[in-house]
Amino acid sequence: MSGFTAFFKKEIVEYLRSYKALILLCVFIIFGMMSPLLAKMMPDILSHQAINGITLNIPKPTFYDSFGQFFKNLSQMGMAVLLLIFGGVLSQDLSKGTLIMLLAKGLSRHAVILAKFAAALILWTASYAFAVMIQWGYTLYLFDKLPVPHLFFSLFCLWLFGIFILTILLMSSTLVGGAYSGLFLTTAALGALIVCQFIPGTDRFSPLALASDNAGLMTGAANLHHAVTAVWITVILIVSALAVSLVVFKKKSI
Amino acid sequence: MTQISDLLPLLIPIIVLELILVITALIHIFRHKTYRFGNRVLWVVLVLCFQLIGPVVYFIFGRGDD
Amino acid sequence: MDILRAEHIRKNFGSQHVLTDLNFSVSKHSIFGLIGKNGSGKTTTMKMILGLIKPTSGSIYVCGEKVAYGDTPTNRHIGYLPDVPEFYGYMTAREYLKLCGEITGVRRSEIHKRTDELLCLVGLNGVNRKIHSYSRGMKQRLGIAQALLNEPELLICDEVTSALDPVGRKEILDLLSAAGKRATVIFSTHILSDVERICDQIGVLNNGQLELQGPLNEIKQDYRQEALQIETLTPDQAPVLAAHLKALPFISKAEVSGRTVNVQLNHYEENSLDIIRLLASESIPILKYERLEPTLENVFMDVIR
Ligand SMILES: Nc1ncnc2c1ncn2[C@@H]1O[C@H](COP(=O)(O)OP(=O)(O)OP(=O)(O)O)[C@@H](O)[C@H]1O
Ligand SMILES: [Mg+2]
Repeated sequence: MSGFTAFFKKEIVEYLRSYKALILLCVFIIFGMMSPLLAKMMPDILSHQAINGITLNIPKPTFYDSFGQFFKNLSQMGMAVLLLIFGGVLSQDLSKGTLIMLLAKGLSRHAVILAKFAAALILWTASYAFAVMIQWGYTLYLFDKLPVPHLFFSLFCLWLFGIFILTILLMSSTLVGGAYSGLFLTTAALGALIVCQFIPGTDRFSPLALASDNAGLMTGAANLHHAVTAVWITVILIVSALAVSLVVFKKKSI
Repeated sequence: MTQISDLLPLLIPIIVLELILVITALIHIFRHKTYRFGNRVLWVVLVLCFQLIGPVVYFIFGRGDD
Repeated sequence: MDILRAEHIRKNFGSQHVLTDLNFSVSKHSIFGLIGKNGSGKTTTMKMILGLIKPTSGSIYVCGEKVAYGDTPTNRHIGYLPDVPEFYGYMTAREYLKLCGEITGVRRSEIHKRTDELLCLVGLNGVNRKIHSYSRGMKQRLGIAQALLNEPELLICDEVTSALDPVGRKEILDLLSAAGKRATVIFSTHILSDVERICDQIGVLNNGQLELQGPLNEIKQDYRQEALQIETLTPDQAPVLAAHLKALPFISKAEVSGRTVNVQLNHYEENSLDIIRLLASESIPILKYERLEPTLENVFMDVIR
């Protein structure tokens, strides 16, 4: 337990001093501010581009569009940034050999995995929470509030998808060596999921639904039951990935 | 129809945050001689040309050891 | 009681057999020097003692407790310094030692005091820079401080003197020597004079096993080559002397190089007078007459040959 606390503190200090915490917070806060503004300015932007005086008839943007924009930014750019920030989550420590002395001091291998997961989870949750709060404030200020069904569920789905990415990164770095191989393996896995989406009938089970159906859930375009299934599947995958990380890392030559 | 100028107060915090990222990256670049790869010119150009992505990529891949 | 015991350790990396049958034990309060060629498996052996890599077969006991691969309870008895210690460059030495202290469960109130003591001991007090700006020797010193932090019963140092200047080397050897009073020290090195300086036990790792193990002075006795070096006054007398020596039955070899004759013989104690008599009867004036002491280098060369 003392090992977990000490190593967890080290992880947090590392995120702060390597500027990763700063980047993640800034980028997500920027997304939270930018999405409502983009939604609001969309008609202006589009009308400026209208050719030869043909006026496009663009509907006035609403509360929905603001969150639609938010989900679009976070599920694409946001997840890419998440991958980059946490890409070296365990690989870096392993490939540099910095863990050797700490393990030799009696740090348990389980504590390493759990502390790494906890620190990443906290950083991701904090950045996401900031983004959501700012998004909420800006949207209320710029748009008239409309009843949005399942907004919180949608937000929860994206948060869970972030955790899914974190655990897959952690698992990949226990499975393959090298400073960036965990990142590559995770990217490959996500690529495979994207390809699988084209197989009819599978998309409702895919964790990707958590990052692609968010806007649809608010407008009713996406099926809530399918989303709930995807949530459960993702939770199972997260727990299994963590378990695999713990078991594999315990048996790894260092 | 909304005027862009009305939204300016809301845009300023975004610009400030982006500037914070760019400036921390630039300070870091100029205070270090070695990078994991690439050279100073490359990183300065990248950070200045690609807002948001530039500093992120610099801090993840370019930043040397410390 | 033996603080460390290794039984029938085998280790393969793929098809490469690094250790074939390693057996050894180290008794309490000894300083054990592990020597062997590059790639003979010293680092591998140490990492197996720490449970960092898995032996292909065989078992290791630390303080009577079996080392479980991937698990760390036996490591609480051990302090380890890797051959190239890697630190978190963004920390200061003090912060790093605090982290290590918290991990090993040094009491909170004591960490600070202990850190100061150790930094003084290894000569890093007053250095408040981040570790990334440290030289290799400074990292080595911090590594030693880190290894001593939990007051280990067994101190394992891999090539501990490799990056140190001559003064630093002496300091660190004295430090290990002092540590040897309280703990058992195992260390590997390629500098054999370091081993001679502080070790009381040695082991020579060769061909995947410990080909030679025991107290340093006994081993030197066993390997005592009965050798003499006689230096004559002028170069032309040396071959003459060599020819006379070769005629004696107990002399196995007499080689001339310049003015000196290198002699190998059996049973020096019984036969030394015969040589003196020969020198007197042939009236060969000599400058120097010396019985050669065996060096660890000779022993080492002999074992790995
Ligand atoms: N992870 C590994 N994978 C494959 N082979 C390895 C691995 N680690 C070590 N070896 C091999 O095992 C042998 C022993 O290595 P080890 O590092 O234990 O030698 P050493 O005695 O410490 O050498 P040195 O004096 O150079 O430090 C070497 O031939 C090395 O190539
Ligand atoms: Mg070695």
